[in-house]
Amino acid sequence: MTMNIERFKENLLVYGPDVRNWPKDMRSSGLEALDSSPELQKLVRDEERFEGFLKTRKYEEPSRDLARRIVTAALPGKKKAQRHLGEFLSEIFREFSLSRRALTAISVSLIFTLIIGFTIGFSIPSGYASAEHYETHLEDFLIYEGDVL
Amino acid sequence: MDVKLLHLDDESLICRIQEGSHEAFAELVDRHSNRFYRIAYRLVSSKNDAEDIVQEAFLKLWDRPNLWDPGKRAKFTTWFYRVVINLCLDHRKKKKLINLPENIEFADENPGPDVLFDVHHKQAVLERLLNDLPERQQLAVNLCFYEGLSNIEAAQIIGVKVKALQSLIMRAKTTLKYNAQRYLDGGSR
Repeated sequence: MTMNIERFKENLLVYGPDVRNWPKDMRSSGLEALDSSPELQKLVRDEERFEGFLKTRKYEEPSRDLARRIVTAALPGKKKAQRHLGEFLSEIFREFSLSRRALTAISVSLIFTLIIGFTIGFSIPSGYASAEHYETHLEDFLIYEGDVL
Repeated sequence: MDVKLLHLDDESLICRIQEGSHEAFAELVDRHSNRFYRIAYRLVSSKNDAEDIVQEAFLKLWDRPNLWDPGKRAKFTTWFYRVVINLCLDHRKKKKLINLPENIEFADENPGPDVLFDVHHKQAVLERLLNDLPERQQLAVNLCFYEGLSNIEAAQIIGVKVKALQSLIMRAKTTLKYNAQRYLDGGSR
């Protein structure tokens, strides 16, 4: 028995435009109706276009470590799993989503800054005030303040 | 991980969880976290919020595994969809959701091809059209169309009869189609 147009429209909304995927008991009558009606063929094309539009909806994949995070959070006593330094750093890098090149540049500049810092730090002799030097300044200060020893 | 756990069904895993097995919990999370993230994301439109909700739901299960009652013979996934969806709906109420541009309106004139092909704009419009639907219609579309669940399972999750679920889908799609057409045709209909 061929399906009437109203029933066909309802099925189109509920089961989608691919009539071959409709439930078995209405598939053959649906296909039969579709073959014989240009109007239904147009409805199917419209529905395909509409579902194409619905499929453009934005979607973001979950973080790769979502499951691990959940499992860790549920560890008995809520103990956090020990993380390796490398894992921790890579998590931070992922968070800031920097490119490999940018990361290399940042690492090199940090190392360079450290080297310069150490070089400057070790090249200056450790400062100390001699007693003579100190007294001179104390005298200057007292004279400046108007108190003469 | 215990290899045997891989072969257990969800309901048997929960029984193990009720006995305190963290490994069974890990297996269940591994099996289903992405699936529940998807529906959460569809409902809250934010990756971070969706991940937090899924985590909260699983931690609830871990803390109170007896919430799932084997006597009711519900499938774990059906029951847990309800848990996640309820958390999402609470979250939406708190956050008043939808971080959409405020200037999205139905156009007065025919939009140019540049507008029609602006993917981000289209996505924002679609998101708004979906969010404008009544709550149960949104759930029906998300579960059946986006998640590909059967009408029977979606009806059980929402708590309605299959016929009612189908009616929700029909009304949702009819409204969406009408509003999308209005938008794409620039309000000429």
